[in-house]
Amino acid sequence: MNTFRTDPQRLAQKSALVVGVGGLGCPAALALVRAGVGRVVLCDDDRVEAANLHRQILFDERDVGRDKLDAAFDTLRARGGTARGLERVHGRLLPDTARALVQGVDVVLEGSDNFATKFLAADACHLEQRAVVHGAAIRWHGTAWLVPPGGAPCYRCLFEDVPMGAQAGCSEAGVMGPVVGVVGALMADLALRWLTGDTSAVGSIWSYDGKRDRLRASAVPARPACPLCGQRQIAELIESAYVSGICTT
Amino acid sequence: MEVTVRIPTPLRSLTGGEEAVKVTGATVRAVIDGLEKAHPGMKDRLLDDKGVRRFVNIYVGEEDIRFLDGLETALENGQEISIVPAIAGG
Repeated sequence: MNTFRTDPQRLAQKSALVVGVGGLGCPAALALVRAGVGRVVLCDDDRVEAANLHRQILFDERDVGRDKLDAAFDTLRARGGTARGLERVHGRLLPDTARALVQGVDVVLEGSDNFATKFLAADACHLEQRAVVHGAAIRWHGTAWLVPPGGAPCYRCLFEDVPMGAQAGCSEAGVMGPVVGVVGALMADLALRWLTGDTSAVGSIWSYDGKRDRLRASAVPARPACPLCGQRQIAELIESAYVSGICTT
Repeated sequence: MEVTVRIPTPLRSLTGGEEAVKVTGATVRAVIDGLEKAHPGMKDRLLDDKGVRRFVNIYVGEEDIRFLDGLETALENGQEISIVPAIAGG
């Protein structure tokens, strides 16, 4: 795993969109802001719940019931962010807004809790030629990986299409706070490396096992039959293509 | 051939919490059959009637079996098989 090699002047000219200000988005956003990324856009539509507090490190008890973006904005400003450098997009990433949102930034960090948003972010970033860092965590296991603009391998090279059915809820599966902290920080690491010109992480998925404290990278080859980056069959975002349950076991 | 199969967290309920199990088999398919015998329910989580489920990836060493011989990929003694399922959450 690399260490941060940030370039403040270069980063000040860069921008990032954080999709989902949850267990992954909170530490990722904090790391981006503290590293000096000039513009960080936060996208979410939830309110803070007490059950979030063990892992969503931008919030505390006083924030329960507040709009997540407002609470995150206050915390990030208090920890080094600026009103000019922080933007809030109240709502979910949706097929009719996704391309415009991702088009306006240099990199997208997607830490969503549902597959529909993950595939939507992957497709929108590919179509708009934007880099995307995908992150996910459940129980003691998490993954993060960087896909370059319009790039291969992409999310669909590995996971093909939105899963239907057979998904259990996050509340049943559980999410460990330290694991999402590690994976969220790793997402920021991958994004900062990309923003500072380091492409060495492309092509590998990082997996973190919180029970064994093991981090490993597995090569992900581009798949020629991939409908996104291989066959290029996905040319637009159609709402019916992004329907799924939340989480999986 | 005896290989080590790394079990991802979401599937460890089927192995009694074991993170890695030893299985004998000459191919990935044989190893999955062996997994099913020792840990019933595992096969259904990994395969459907078309083969490996779309949301699961199986690696032999560092290689995705889709880029080898799929379920017929031949194994050598001591190799490590990793299962990487799609996950969402955080």
